[in-house]
Amino acid sequence: MDLKLLDYPRYFLSTAVVLLSTYGLLLGGNYSWMGLGILMGILLFDSFLESDYSMRDQRHPVVYDIVVGITLLAGVAHVFTYAYLAGAGHFATWSSEIGAFVSVAMVGFVVGAPPLHELFHRETFVQRWMGRIGNALIFDPWREITHVVTHHTYVCTPDDPDYARRGENMYRHVAVSLYRQFKESYQLEKQMWTKRGRAWWHPKNAWVWRASILLGFSTLLFIAGGFKGMLLAIATCLIGPRTFLEIFNYCNHYGLISATPGRFENRHTWNHLTPFVRVFALEITNHAGHHTDSYVPFYELEPDEGGPEQPQFMICVLLALVPPLFFAMIKPRLAHWDRHFATDEEREIAWRENARAGWHDLNEAMLADERPMHRPDIAAAAA
Amino acid sequence: MSQGTEAAENAVDGAEAESVAARPGFHRVVNERDGKVFEVKHKELLLMSAIQQEIDYPHNCRVGTCGTCKTKLLSGKIRPLVDFALSPLTNEELAQGYVLACQSMVNSDLRIDVSIGNHVTIPYRRVSGRVSSWRRLPGQVIDVRVRLDEPLPFMAGQYCQLAESGSFTRRNYSFYDLPPDPDGEGAEEVGFLVKYIPGGKLSGWLNEMNRTGTKMWLHGPQGRTGLEDEDSDAICIAGGTGLAPIASILADRIRRHPGTKFTVIFGVKGADDLFAREVISDLLEQAGDRIRFIEIVSDEPDGTGWEGPRGLVTDALTPDLVDDYSTKAAYVCGNLPMVEACEKKLVELGVDPEHIHADKFIPTGA
Repeated sequence: MDLKLLDYPRYFLSTAVVLLSTYGLLLGGNYSWMGLGILMGILLFDSFLESDYSMRDQRHPVVYDIVVGITLLAGVAHVFTYAYLAGAGHFATWSSEIGAFVSVAMVGFVVGAPPLHELFHRETFVQRWMGRIGNALIFDPWREITHVVTHHTYVCTPDDPDYARRGENMYRHVAVSLYRQFKESYQLEKQMWTKRGRAWWHPKNAWVWRASILLGFSTLLFIAGGFKGMLLAIATCLIGPRTFLEIFNYCNHYGLISATPGRFENRHTWNHLTPFVRVFALEITNHAGHHTDSYVPFYELEPDEGGPEQPQFMICVLLALVPPLFFAMIKPRLAHWDRHFATDEEREIAWRENARAGWHDLNEAMLADERPMHRPDIAAAAA
Repeated sequence: MSQGTEAAENAVDGAEAESVAARPGFHRVVNERDGKVFEVKHKELLLMSAIQQEIDYPHNCRVGTCGTCKTKLLSGKIRPLVDFALSPLTNEELAQGYVLACQSMVNSDLRIDVSIGNHVTIPYRRVSGRVSSWRRLPGQVIDVRVRLDEPLPFMAGQYCQLAESGSFTRRNYSFYDLPPDPDGEGAEEVGFLVKYIPGGKLSGWLNEMNRTGTKMWLHGPQGRTGLEDEDSDAICIAGGTGLAPIASILADRIRRHPGTKFTVIFGVKGADDLFAREVISDLLEQAGDRIRFIEIVSDEPDGTGWEGPRGLVTDALTPDLVDDYSTKAAYVCGNLPMVEACEKKLVELGVDPEHIHADKFIPTGA
């Protein structure tokens, strides 16, 4: 048997997790925890596995596209099922109520969001619009423009709202990042209607269709689950995929430095390449390839073997919730990055960033290693 | 083999193209500038398809933000993936039909106008150096010179990205020097004119104190403003520090293209801002007979003793400024509104738009 053909069915695992979570919701009671349990069980198992650097078989790309489409639709069905059941009072106990909420939120984050990202990066009209409409699942159709317009261009610089500088904890980063994204979304929208010479209310403005997506999605949720079902379902989208996505972003480029904004190089991202994370995340965590060329579909991404890696994805997200633990994990990795990956110019910026964070031990490490180190003038930086 | 690669085999030039119909499912793209014809599959992206066919289409970011793949759409239908209003295209460019090829899904046969090929003139490189001299000029302009750790080639009118060692902040500035010998290794020292912008990170840092000895990084060279019409007499218009690329172009032409003559218009706000003579005094000494130099001030109060012309740089562009505008090239460097106003006026006076070369300074923000 051609074992490479197994590359295709593995991506149906995402669909299976969403469907099993939906089934757990339907069973109700403590089964409502089923989605979370299955997801965390697989990710826990995955955390003991080695990174997978293999390329995917690419002989039948249509199968992958079908998986993405089905998973997106399953994600939509998952949320609507939850809205309907929550609105109907199906979750009779606090345990089942909480289990259902957390399951929908976390399955939506790990498995539901990646298809949106994949699709809104695609070039075909249908796929691009599936991704845009699918943005309802993170309840933020504006996320796409800040992601495409700024994140991909200014990654690893403070000009990218998704970028966390050295010393920043997750809570501050998420709050600041969300504020900057909203502000930037408004500015980009305003730029669009101003350049087109339109009034802000013109029906052709992009914000109109984006707002329509949210309105349509909310209305359908209301029809499915009434006011309570709608609110709870929207809350799962906002807390799960929307907010946790920012925690993932916090980890993804944490503290790395680009002296070449607009010219991404593989060292400008952390990768998370354990086997099940690659599948659930539709290779978003195979991040270097994605940033090198955002047109490349997930199944063609080449893992950066030997590139910067963090611990398993879910472990990083959990560590980020406890800043001292996250810093303890990331600092040795940044010291390694400064020594082995950074260009001279990037090391000089790292010097200032370490000083800014109060991480002087990382600067001492740079001075101690064999690479010549120019120390930028700290006084000039403060000025 | 991708569809795009298959299309490459059908790429043809010139008149032959007129007789070749696009295959079913493909559209024919004709570049009017050079007659090049290639095919793009229906609903495929123009730039992506061109690159797959190994066409040297200008590009950089491929996500609609850098503007390098700017293309004038003369006819045909495209659908933008990301609204072009989010791109660096100006209102005027949008109105004139410019699109970004990287975001243009092709929906019909197209006629386009874009400069394909010969984009890489000098390899882009990153070099470090130290500030070797720093001096204030009138008009809150700093003349900063950097001694490079390795030679950097560049051509007339080009610019590079400048950054202080240890800083994320980087900004584009034009070289004001005579370009180095094209057959040599490059310049060992380069100079820039930096106008202080209140709140500006790099200009503010440079303006604050003498930065001699500070390590800097340069990425470049970039830009094509001064690379064409080398043997033509020209009108050079500089607004403020737009003088830097103009000075480099003048130095290049005076040295390498004998016989060419130049009318230089230098505009600033007040008489206290006139720093140009300090920058191009050598050129005026060397070739005063080939350079006619006009300084014009826009906001100089009456009674200050200023006896020269007043107004905007466009006011200096009078019908009798040169004998025949249609035979002249033009180089225009300065802020965006100034450049656009000059381009319009030059065309009205008879300069062929093909021979107007502009370097538009767009503030990067704080």
